[in-house]
Amino acid sequence: MADISAAIKRKKKFKITPYLFIAPHIILFIVFFLYPLGYGIFASFTKWNLFNQPEFIGLENYRLILFEKDSTFYRQFWNGLKNTVTFVIICVPFQIIIPLLIAQALNLKPKGHRFFQSTIYMPTLVSITAVTLTWMFIFNRTLGLFNNMLGTDINWYGEQPYAWMTVVIVTIWWIAGQNMIIYVAALEGIDKDILEAAQIDGVNMFQRFFRITLPSIRFQLVYTLVISIIQQFNIYGQPLMLTGGGPNETTFVLLMYIRNLAFGTGNSIAGVSTAMSMVLGLVICIVSIFQLILLRNREA
Amino acid sequence: MHRSISIRRIDAGKLMAFIFLTFLAIIWIIPFLWIFLSSFKVEMEINQAGGFMYFPKTWTLENYKELLDPNNKQLPIYRWFINSFFISGIHTILSVIIYSMSAYAYAKLQFKGRDTIFLVLMGLSVFPAIINIIPLYKLCLVLGWLNGPLALIVPGLAGMFNIFLIRQFLYGIPDSLLEVARIDGASEWTIYFKVILPLAKPVLIAVALFSFTGNWNDFLWPSIAINNIDRLTLTAGLQLAKGAYGVKVAHMSTVAVIAIIPMAILYLFTQKYFIHGISLSSGIKG
Repeated sequence: MADISAAIKRKKKFKITPYLFIAPHIILFIVFFLYPLGYGIFASFTKWNLFNQPEFIGLENYRLILFEKDSTFYRQFWNGLKNTVTFVIICVPFQIIIPLLIAQALNLKPKGHRFFQSTIYMPTLVSITAVTLTWMFIFNRTLGLFNNMLGTDINWYGEQPYAWMTVVIVTIWWIAGQNMIIYVAALEGIDKDILEAAQIDGVNMFQRFFRITLPSIRFQLVYTLVISIIQQFNIYGQPLMLTGGGPNETTFVLLMYIRNLAFGTGNSIAGVSTAMSMVLGLVICIVSIFQLILLRNREA
Repeated sequence: MHRSISIRRIDAGKLMAFIFLTFLAIIWIIPFLWIFLSSFKVEMEINQAGGFMYFPKTWTLENYKELLDPNNKQLPIYRWFINSFFISGIHTILSVIIYSMSAYAYAKLQFKGRDTIFLVLMGLSVFPAIINIIPLYKLCLVLGWLNGPLALIVPGLAGMFNIFLIRQFLYGIPDSLLEVARIDGASEWTIYFKVILPLAKPVLIAVALFSFTGNWNDFLWPSIAINNIDRLTLTAGLQLAKGAYGVKVAHMSTVAVIAIIPMAILYLFTQKYFIHGISLSSGIKG
């Protein structure tokens, strides 16, 4: 009797070990994620220069950036947001379509397909600074490979639409490999018999692609769409290094303003900057929720 | 009859794919080839040629010698390399340990609130890191971590994605295996070290590679948290190359080659893990 009750007691005893396993991460999560998150939300309602005690001013920062037409912050915020969104809209379709075409070609297993795959994937591992240094003297107006090879005199970094073209080309070269790998794995998962049967039935290549291939990999398409959008909303390095935000601040993206306001030369305007990053964060957040739902559904 | 037609058709498809991919591979290789060629050029000779030439006239290693010199004050690449290896190395080791411990608990241990905690953490992690960057600066300032390696090693360990990834993988390990170990009297810690870690190797290698490259390639945060030029990482430091060498094509190209080489070597040896890891993370396999 005593034995059994002792056993029950032991079983009911609060087990500490599992909590020890998750404790290190939970502590880090609270200190370096949750606390900064809370502090950031708070700071966006304050007058703050990183060093003073934040002074609560309600919605003033948000009013300034969203509605105060005469304010430089208003101009910077809307220009930055417009440029970031422009980049997302131009870049993401290429980031889906080009890797998809590459994956489709790789899936036919032509000679050297492993080599092609490795080559295209490789730049994804390189930092954005190294990538932009690599391209810097390809698009350079006088010293660059392109203009000299083609005999043109295009001001790639200093004129639109070339400035956006440059930023997008470099970005696609940098990260096309990422989605490509996902599509390659997805295409391999498609039942070959179905495609073959369709082919024998006389369904042409395009119909097979749109009616069988695309529906079969729809999960991966949506997933890559979501992660690509999130990724590109964070654009910063390419315009900073290549165009410097020019010409006329047409490639000056939101993160560049946020960074400059908080950490640039002169007085830090961290409060306003935080409010801007909150709005950007909110946009990314909405897209992330889709990602989470996707992952959850996949898991179920 | 039919058969031979269909074979020929497949070959035509393959040929088209081959041509298309060759074309793309050329586009992908040209930038690398260009900086590689340019890195051996003599700056003077480029200027004499009017600022542009396809091939080096005299092949020189001087650019490399100059840039990798430990006494290079203008662009201390040598120093940055050491910093980056140290920071990313430690970050990677800690990532693998911390994430796998958590993932093991969430996947295989029974405890009160397990699923709730996991869901809450996953839910909170939809807030993008970018929101946190300014407060994180303040936090590191208060902790005295600015301009030091801790600021670049520790905050990045708070993520959730890798835990999710490892947890998914661990579901594939049968519980019966762990039960056997438990009946033999093994503690949870023994099971974690002796059973889980070895079996989870594929996913842990992927997590290690993602952590290493992610930390190595991080640009925005180190460029904010570090002001001292000697303490920068390679990725953040390279931002200064433009200011230091401006339009010196050969120098800038050499900088780019040097920056790419470590990742190229890493990739050469770990390619299949990277590719496997990406497939794991998009939920296709495992």
